[in-house]
Amino acid sequence: MADPIEQFEIHPLPGMTFGEVNVPVLGNQVIAFTNSHVAMTIAFLMVVLFLTAVTSGAKVVPGRLQSTGETLFGMIDGVTDSIIGHEGRKYFPFVFTLFTLILGMNLLGMFLTFTATSQLAVTITFAMLTILLVIGVGILKHGLGFFLLFWPSSAPLLLRPVVGAIEFLSFLLRPVTLALRLFGNMLGGHVALKIFAGFVVSLGAMAFAGEGLGLWALPIAALSMTMVVALTALEFLVAFLQAFVFAVLATIYLNDVVNLGHGH
Amino acid sequence: MAAPESTDIHGGTTATTEAESGGLPQFDTSVWGGQIVYLLFLFVVLYLLISKVFAPRLRRVMDERATTISSAVATAKSVQAEAAVQAAAAKAEVAEARAQSRAMAAAAKARVTEEANARRAAEESEVNARIATAEAAIGQTRDAAMANVGTIAADTTQAIVERLTGTKVSAADAAAAVKGAA
Repeated sequence: MADPIEQFEIHPLPGMTFGEVNVPVLGNQVIAFTNSHVAMTIAFLMVVLFLTAVTSGAKVVPGRLQSTGETLFGMIDGVTDSIIGHEGRKYFPFVFTLFTLILGMNLLGMFLTFTATSQLAVTITFAMLTILLVIGVGILKHGLGFFLLFWPSSAPLLLRPVVGAIEFLSFLLRPVTLALRLFGNMLGGHVALKIFAGFVVSLGAMAFAGEGLGLWALPIAALSMTMVVALTALEFLVAFLQAFVFAVLATIYLNDVVNLGHGH
Repeated sequence: MAAPESTDIHGGTTATTEAESGGLPQFDTSVWGGQIVYLLFLFVVLYLLISKVFAPRLRRVMDERATTISSAVATAKSVQAEAAVQAAAAKAEVAEARAQSRAMAAAAKARVTEEANARRAAEESEVNARIATAEAAIGQTRDAAMANVGTIAADTTQAIVERLTGTKVSAADAAAAVKGAA
């Protein structure tokens, strides 16, 4: 059976390796244009093409494509507007970029053999970018008052240090959960798809060769095929949902620092 | 960079990738840097495109749509109000016309009755006058006839007396006798 993990391997394109660099945290780095770069580029270009097509001939009475684009736009606009409030528009481009890029990569993974968002490096980049923006906005807006985020003024005085420590810990875990949620969802979905698809082929081959289970393998292969179809549908939903969840969580974290101390 | 060199490095990287992938290939950090830098680059480009081009364009269209709709609604409202005013005016006009025609009808009726009354009165008076004349004429005739009755009676008396007695009676005597008998 095909290795379900193989699809996540990073291969430089032939003749596109440019050398190695030593970076402090990550160690030796291979500089190359890999299949991951290809997937990211295609996803990026599709997002740009889609948004160009949506906005270039934008009419007051929208067509189908424009309606789709406006729905996505309005959805994220509604999220930033309802969660952050009147300052939401300022952060809309960031959240919309996150959303469209993740959605593009997730959906592209349904058509290619490689999914960029199933790479930990990619999801960690998105998560770190989000959390660094949160910290940056917090410190720029409130200075040291940013640390009031971890000071639960509504809790009893005696409990405040404890609750504050928990708040701080949960804040540190935010980028981790952001990165791992997207990574895990993409990884799990594509592994499951590959395993069931592998069943179909290997059990089918077994049946036709007359080895092992023989013809009894056919119903199991058919069942696996049903699972593949069902999982594919589910993965499309997950692809959209995870992009949306990432965008909503990023907005919520941004709101924490934008409206710090305004009470929620 | 020479081609054989790069293929050497290529071979080396796949070797390290496979060597370190005891678990998932995603945990091989030697390929993280390139992905992270490239993704950051794509993210920044897309962010700039969205914030400078796509979002303003879509917002403009959406705002335009909102103003179009609100202005259309306002126009419709004003037209509706105008229509309501016109309808009220038409209603008032109809009511006025109805009242006018009613008044006119009443006036006509009054005039007609008045005329009829006047004509009747005139005719009545004429008839009365004629009756009076006729009565006067009848009275005259009767008086004349009555006057003639005496003469006739005297004549008759004269003739009867002459036939019976053969004596001629004077007209005056006969008249006196008739008067005395009456």
